Amino acid sequence: MGAVGSTDQKGVGLHMRLRSLLAATSVAAIAVVAACGGGSDSSSSSGDQGFSEGGSGGGIMNANAPAPAPPIDGAQKGGTIDVWGTSGLQSMHPTEAYFTNTTSILSNMVTRSLTQYMWNDQKQAMELVPDLATDLGQHNADFTEWTFTIRDGIKWQDGSDVTMDDMVRGIKASFDNFAEGAFPNGAQYSKTYFKGGTWKGPFTDPSGDCNCISVDGRDITIQMSRPFPDMPFWGSFPAMGPLPQQAMGDTAAYGTNPWSTGPYKFQSFDPGTSRLVLVRNEFWDPNTDPGRHAYPDEWDFDVDRGDPTVLDRTLLEDQGDAQTAMSYDNIQQSSRQQAESSGRLVTGPSPCTIFWYMDTRKPEWENIEVRKALGTAWNFDDYRLATGLAMGLSAVPATMILPPGMPGRIDPPFDVIGNGGTGTGDPAKAKQMLQDAGALNTPVTFLFDASDPTAVDGKNIIVKALSEAGFDPQPRAVPNADKEDELTQDPDAPINLRHLGWCSDWPSGSSWFSPVFSSEGSSNYSYLSVPKIDQKITDIESMAADQQPPHWGDLDKEIMTDYYPVIPDYYTADAMLRGSKIEGYHNDEVRGMPTFATIWVKQ
Amino acid sequence: MSLPPLEAEEALHHADELPETVSEDAIHGRSPMQIAFERLRHDKVAILSAAVILFFVLVAIFAPLICKAFGVELRAYPGSEIIDINTTFGKVGPPDHGFTWDHPLGVERGTGNDLLAEWVYGCRTSLMVASIATILSTVIGILIGLVAGFSHGWLDRVLTFFVDLFLSFPFILGALTLAPIIYSHWAGDASKLGVAQFWALIGVLTIFTWMPLARLIRGEVFSLREREFIQAARVIGVPTRRILFKELLPNLIAPIVIFFSLSLPALVTAEAGLAFLGIGLTERPSWGQTINKAVPYFDQFPLWLWAPVLGVMALVLALNLLGDAIRDAFDPKTRR
Repeated sequence: MGAVGSTDQKGVGLHMRLRSLLAATSVAAIAVVAACGGGSDSSSSSGDQGFSEGGSGGGIMNANAPAPAPPIDGAQKGGTIDVWGTSGLQSMHPTEAYFTNTTSILSNMVTRSLTQYMWNDQKQAMELVPDLATDLGQHNADFTEWTFTIRDGIKWQDGSDVTMDDMVRGIKASFDNFAEGAFPNGAQYSKTYFKGGTWKGPFTDPSGDCNCISVDGRDITIQMSRPFPDMPFWGSFPAMGPLPQQAMGDTAAYGTNPWSTGPYKFQSFDPGTSRLVLVRNEFWDPNTDPGRHAYPDEWDFDVDRGDPTVLDRTLLEDQGDAQTAMSYDNIQQSSRQQAESSGRLVTGPSPCTIFWYMDTRKPEWENIEVRKALGTAWNFDDYRLATGLAMGLSAVPATMILPPGMPGRIDPPFDVIGNGGTGTGDPAKAKQMLQDAGALNTPVTFLFDASDPTAVDGKNIIVKALSEAGFDPQPRAVPNADKEDELTQDPDAPINLRHLGWCSDWPSGSSWFSPVFSSEGSSNYSYLSVPKIDQKITDIESMAADQQPPHWGDLDKEIMTDYYPVIPDYYTADAMLRGSKIEGYHNDEVRGMPTFATIWVKQ
Repeated sequence: MSLPPLEAEEALHHADELPETVSEDAIHGRSPMQIAFERLRHDKVAILSAAVILFFVLVAIFAPLICKAFGVELRAYPGSEIIDINTTFGKVGPPDHGFTWDHPLGVERGTGNDLLAEWVYGCRTSLMVASIATILSTVIGILIGLVAGFSHGWLDRVLTFFVDLFLSFPFILGALTLAPIIYSHWAGDASKLGVAQFWALIGVLTIFTWMPLARLIRGEVFSLREREFIQAARVIGVPTRRILFKELLPNLIAPIVIFFSLSLPALVTAEAGLAFLGIGLTERPSWGQTINKAVPYFDQFPLWLWAPVLGVMALVLALNLLGDAIRDAFDPKTRR
């Protein structure tokens, strides 16, 4: 099975959240990186593009990965790794974990699930491999029934066997992932796709059931309410793993000490300070696990430290403990030069595109020529510079919806406006376009954080560029970044231009077009509502999985050419620092996190 | 009774206040102001401080001319033209290149704003905010102090209560609370927002500065109102307003001048501090804002931070020293 697609017509939250909540709107907070290979923007799903291609990793699936995972050349056992960061840790309950950092930590080290991502060193990308299941699942013709065979010999951290009851209990718990449920922040795929999605889950409605899971020996079969070809990807979330009986008690308490099936278990976790210590789980059997290595003896997470600049400096100075420390925060722009010359900067793509969404419901954006005029007038370079976004390190200029490496992404990239997503805009041409459309002085209303001087600079640049191009820019001040986030996501906010990003949960066009561009999409901030596009999305999702990718690419082009609802701003990337004794640190481009499972300490 | 009461009283209380100025040779009286100025003229520190302050005042007043003379423009936003996209610092000038007259202090990282223009206009903002707020708080302090001190009974108690109330209210908290209200009220109009920010900042600074002066004046008035010249004025039926402003006020010049000269530097610092916290002015250049932006890049581009820091330091130090000198000059107990 190649890259697969799926549908998300209900438009539930489909995006894995960035580890920093601010990241999507506050560009200063996303010190992300471009492909380190040298800015090649080309891509394909073939996976032979080498390092610099992002997002495609998960498109590679390997149902036959052998267990145990082949050892890494030269890797040494032992040692303690310190992980430092500034963004803290949200819920570590496996059912609820939905941030890139919590998901990655749990999945790579603590809680096993049906499938998992594994670093493929030859392809320099992540691939989806089996985990608790012996393969990536068997499905019926229309993807409405999935069967996973669970391995023997899986044990809890106390040595007891993981039973099929535990598996069913864990999967059913994910029905409590909804706003009023036990896990309001969890991903809602189970409720969306599994049969009986209206069930409120075992915590909220203990007497109910989805009647969607059946067990036959070691086989677990899940019935779907609609085709779900992406089930193997959803299977990689910690929520798709077992839960012990005691997890049914106090969920908050269990979230601070989730039982381990993986190579490490919680020794201590303080959610208040985000200090987490992981030690070896002796009952983990590598012979049942095709993906994980567990070289270090201990992991010590201290990821709610104050000043990111100090963190960078400590890692760059590389003294004492810092030699065996690493961070998954992106480096600060101010550390860039030093970090690049240190040789200890890990770079790579992450699966997000940041857009300027034009609110197509508003009459002023009705005419596509006016929308394109905005794209033509847009001053990319000055804005990015002023707001501290370093192109090449922090971001790659975008012209399309799908980020580099998404299966089916058109190559070479097309560009509706013709400026490559860079430059300072063409006010004369934009003014002419506005004049031709009879839309001079079109109001452009957008938010800016008045308490942040760099945001004010950015606002001034937008105002200047748009005024020159014949628009009527009307910035609206908000007192802080939180308020900006809140208002940006409010469909009734008095603005017609929004700056937001989208990150896919797994590498498939379905993870982009349904939520962002279908009329029911949960993150459709351009409020695009075109029956033809909705129909196309549904049509592509009902296609055979391996035929979908090129259609997603075509749809990308069609939306941008015929509707232009967004100005693509940039694709994100990672730039993370490691100490000099940390080895095997790669960029997990599916989550934009380190490949925890392959990291080891040079003794 | 042909002598106008005012002159009589002045002579009376001058003699009373400053007996040392009345000698056999010089019978003519000198006001406390005259004496103070006489003393200041001979104080080298005071003269030097005054010169420094004058420099900053001139810079503030002639900011546009200075920018023109150096050929720099405030917030021209040529970002991409002048910024090296790899380093995000300027293509010319510090930190990566040598000194250039085009941008004597270099350009800001990212935006390419000329830092000399930012500095000069930042000086203007600092001085404007600080002096307007100081003048306002002085006026308020004087009025409330005079009225409270001179009135007996309930009015004094009410005013004293307000003084205590404002004194007990935390300044930073007030500023933090007010900023979002300002932003949401003027959210839609960025140009009005700038004006609103400016006056709101002055308002906040004023509201939290006038109380010490009011207390000081009230205390002074307490002792003065029992003095003979006031008693005399009352007996002969001088109106209260006239007593307050013509009889009492001239005797309060010293504390007022001292308060004024010491709260100016405090407010310069407060303005910079608030801008640094992001709750001050963001729509116009300000030293605090420049400091805020420059701090993370101190390693690479120290001049960016030094310019506003030295500006604030020199101005505040000069104001403080001059304030001290003024206090000394007005203090009858100091002898030089």
